[in-house]
Amino acid sequence: MPETMTLRGKAGIYAGAALLRLLLFVAFPSLPDLLTSRVEISTPVTSFKRLQEGLFLYNHNVSPYDGGVFHQAPLLLPLFSLLPDVRALPIFTALLYILVDILSAEALMRIAASGEAVQSRLFTSPRRIRQASSLVVVACYLFNPLSIASCLGRTTSVFTNCATLWAVAKAIDGSPFNAMVALSFASYLSMYPLLLLPPTILLAYDHQLLKGRTQAAPTFAVKNVAIVLVVLGMLLGMSWALDSQSWEFLGRTYGIQLTLNDLNPNVGLWWYFFIEMFDSFRSFFLAVFWLHLSSYVGGLSIRIRTQPLVVIVLLLGIFSIFKPYPSIADTSLFLGTLPLYRHVFPLMRYSFVAAAVLAYATFLGPAFFHLWIYAGSGNANFFYAITLVWSLGQSLLVSDLTFATLRDEWEVERPEMVGKEVKQI
Amino acid sequence: MSATARGYCATSDPWVVSNFALATRIDKGKPSFTNHTMSAAPSEKLPDGGAKKAIKLPPTEKSGDVRRRSFIVLSFWAVVVMLGLPFWWYTTSIYRANLPLDRMLEWADGKACQPVLPITVAFEAEGLAAPDAQELVRLTQGMLDQQSDLAAHQIRLQPGNTDDAALTLQFTPGKQMGATLDSREASLKINYPSGTTVSNPSDAAALATYLAQELRAAFAEERAIISHLLNQPLQNQSPETIEALSKRTTRSMRYASTYHLTFSLFTDGPSPSTWDIEEAVDRYMRPMLDILRPIHNFTVDTQLQLYATPGVQSQVLSKEDLSSFINAAEWPLSPSIGGAPTVNFVLFVGNQTIGNAGSDATSQSWMIPQWGTVYLLPLSDSTAHVDSEILRQPMLTFGGHLLTLLGTPQSGSLPLRLSTLTRIRSLDLLLHASSTLGSLARLSISLPSISIPRTVADGVAASLDHLEKACANLGGPEGLYHARIAESEAEKSFFEKSMVGQLYFPDEHKIAVYLPLLGPVGVPLVLGLIKELKGWKQRRKDAKETKDKKKQ
Repeated sequence: MPETMTLRGKAGIYAGAALLRLLLFVAFPSLPDLLTSRVEISTPVTSFKRLQEGLFLYNHNVSPYDGGVFHQAPLLLPLFSLLPDVRALPIFTALLYILVDILSAEALMRIAASGEAVQSRLFTSPRRIRQASSLVVVACYLFNPLSIASCLGRTTSVFTNCATLWAVAKAIDGSPFNAMVALSFASYLSMYPLLLLPPTILLAYDHQLLKGRTQAAPTFAVKNVAIVLVVLGMLLGMSWALDSQSWEFLGRTYGIQLTLNDLNPNVGLWWYFFIEMFDSFRSFFLAVFWLHLSSYVGGLSIRIRTQPLVVIVLLLGIFSIFKPYPSIADTSLFLGTLPLYRHVFPLMRYSFVAAAVLAYATFLGPAFFHLWIYAGSGNANFFYAITLVWSLGQSLLVSDLTFATLRDEWEVERPEMVGKEVKQI
Repeated sequence: MSATARGYCATSDPWVVSNFALATRIDKGKPSFTNHTMSAAPSEKLPDGGAKKAIKLPPTEKSGDVRRRSFIVLSFWAVVVMLGLPFWWYTTSIYRANLPLDRMLEWADGKACQPVLPITVAFEAEGLAAPDAQELVRLTQGMLDQQSDLAAHQIRLQPGNTDDAALTLQFTPGKQMGATLDSREASLKINYPSGTTVSNPSDAAALATYLAQELRAAFAEERAIISHLLNQPLQNQSPETIEALSKRTTRSMRYASTYHLTFSLFTDGPSPSTWDIEEAVDRYMRPMLDILRPIHNFTVDTQLQLYATPGVQSQVLSKEDLSSFINAAEWPLSPSIGGAPTVNFVLFVGNQTIGNAGSDATSQSWMIPQWGTVYLLPLSDSTAHVDSEILRQPMLTFGGHLLTLLGTPQSGSLPLRLSTLTRIRSLDLLLHASSTLGSLARLSISLPSISIPRTVADGVAASLDHLEKACANLGGPEGLYHARIAESEAEKSFFEKSMVGQLYFPDEHKIAVYLPLLGPVGVPLVLGLIKELKGWKQRRKDAKETKDKKKQ
């Protein structure tokens, strides 16, 4: 019976979420366009408006990158040119985005249902009874206002998010090949998910062993890296053929993320810093920022080797703070995976502060942006200050989750310390 | 350490989670009690003696954990050392192309080139026998060399007719000595008493002296200008002459290969509304522009504006009014179109007159230094169309003023003036390019941290190359051509964008650039590394001690 209950509950949540999105799309036809133009949702590398520009050029047989505003992966273009014109029949685009959101939710559902969060190959949490039900996890993701906003804003990050979640789900499922293909798609779309490769391989490896397929770790890793390389190579080759057989798209998509040539404001920390930076130090600090972003991968993967999934979740949080063009779609992915660790929430110390800070930034961010751009009564510092608060809130969450998982682990080692106060030095 | 002897490797603080290093760190080697701050029990606050019993010693850290921590620290340092340092080196090293500093400074100091402007004077002596003519050339040349007071300016006589001669001497026997400069061609007509024979030494000497004197007179203005450019004042130059020379400099526009001529018709009423400017330009200006072509290119545009209010409304314009006559705020006289400097020619139709006309202008026009000319044209109200005949006088005035604005000397026939202009401009450009190169050399010496891109080095090399060619061919059109390129290359190198940005960037600023971000990031990294190294040393020591013990 509980099985069918879950099934019915699942269907209910999916239907509810889809209907809510559809209602918003249909009842407020101007809402998607309003959200599309918000800097919090659309970044230069994910904006739907820019995608439309690229699509127009593509459909008129002009290189989509000639316009100078389109910075997204070329393979999105044939996909979107299959859909009817968005101005005439927006509903089809809406349906595609709703479908992608539901697909992401399905992946999340599988991740939650597997119980990987509470019991991995090397670690079993003493609090596993308090695990959140997978329905709650999925509902938290689907009904999160940030997820709904990024769906309505039609940012292309939702495709990346979907591919990332499926990579994790497939790794847990014990099919590393599918996981690597999904991760390659995510990396192809946004580049940064490539950094998730080490923890994903670890996760997939653990589940290989759980399934009883023994294999030497290095061989397994090399094999998976090779899969990713081959799939990425194929995707890039297809893009090369699509973009009139030139490699120009590399510089215009990944190059923009690496060099931050488009300094549109967003909720991240990079744009203001690089507006102010001396030109001669620009490339150095670009390298520093990228190395900073990627340096967490090694440390986290080694430290929390026992729970690769938590490494992925933490990295998703770190990316949504420190990546070059973050948007609330990235935050929604992190916040969506966070309830998987419902069982360690009691160990978190700043959950109230973090929640308050995030709520504060969510409401004041658009207001400050309005003051700066439209009212003219504020300046760029207003908006930058609020993005700092936003990032502070997220980093509080990330570090608190790290603390909570480590403490959870530690209590297995030192059962006598359960429930006692500890101090961090 | 006694701790090891007691069997405890690590004693305190098992519970330090660093947010960033993500490692539980254990402070080793210290006695446990003093900084064991984090156990839970409140009973800890007992006096020392009692506390000893209350505090349980935490278990030894597992060796696996220690190793894991080392790996974590190592993973961060691997990123720093293997990626961070090469990036730092690659992105912040300053590229300084090698500049031929010595050569550049030599040019700037005038050591690399002694500018010599040879002026070829053809000696057309049809009435004289060839040996006689040669003798006369020899004598006159000797005279000229003897009198010469400016090394850069050399008149060279050449028998026969040559094409590239700046001036031709034409001899005609007459009643008495006399010389007239032709007003149309570059020739000096010499009359000599018909009885004169060159074979007679006294006659020859007298003729040679006279010739030398006339030639020097013909090129007096050029000589003065060149001496002024070279900053080598001639003897017995009056202050007035020097003032006139500097006036010429302030009046004339800076050299450019292309000038933009704007002809504007402004009227204070509704008419005239059309003018035959195209025909007028073609008829009266074009011939002169064609002659100037080897030195400058010209582009032309025209405009017409009705109901234009001048800056000064009074009926009679006094000398002070002239400078404010142009209504700069309302008249669309753009400063520059397409990068080329603009020369403005304004034709104002109105009934205003100039009160006390200046001596060097007609009573209807005046010249504004480095800007252009204004011409007042009185027309009856009914004139709706200005035909090219009415435009004749204004156009001729404009033409004359254009020559002045370009820096042409005042005296002599037009071909002579233009050949002089070529020489003056070549020298001017040569000197200007040299001094720009000198400035660039001094700049790169005084700012060792400024980057010098490859393009600058290329520009300097090209500039030096063309300077040498210009110096060798000074005086002719080829010299002007090379000087022109040398100057533009030198300017381009000096004002290279990527260099200017870094002009004022002292080394102290680098601390302010690096520290705010790298300081906070670096502290945990460095401290973590130090701790790891200490722990590693300790472990080695311990291992050795146990080994020694076993041996005992």
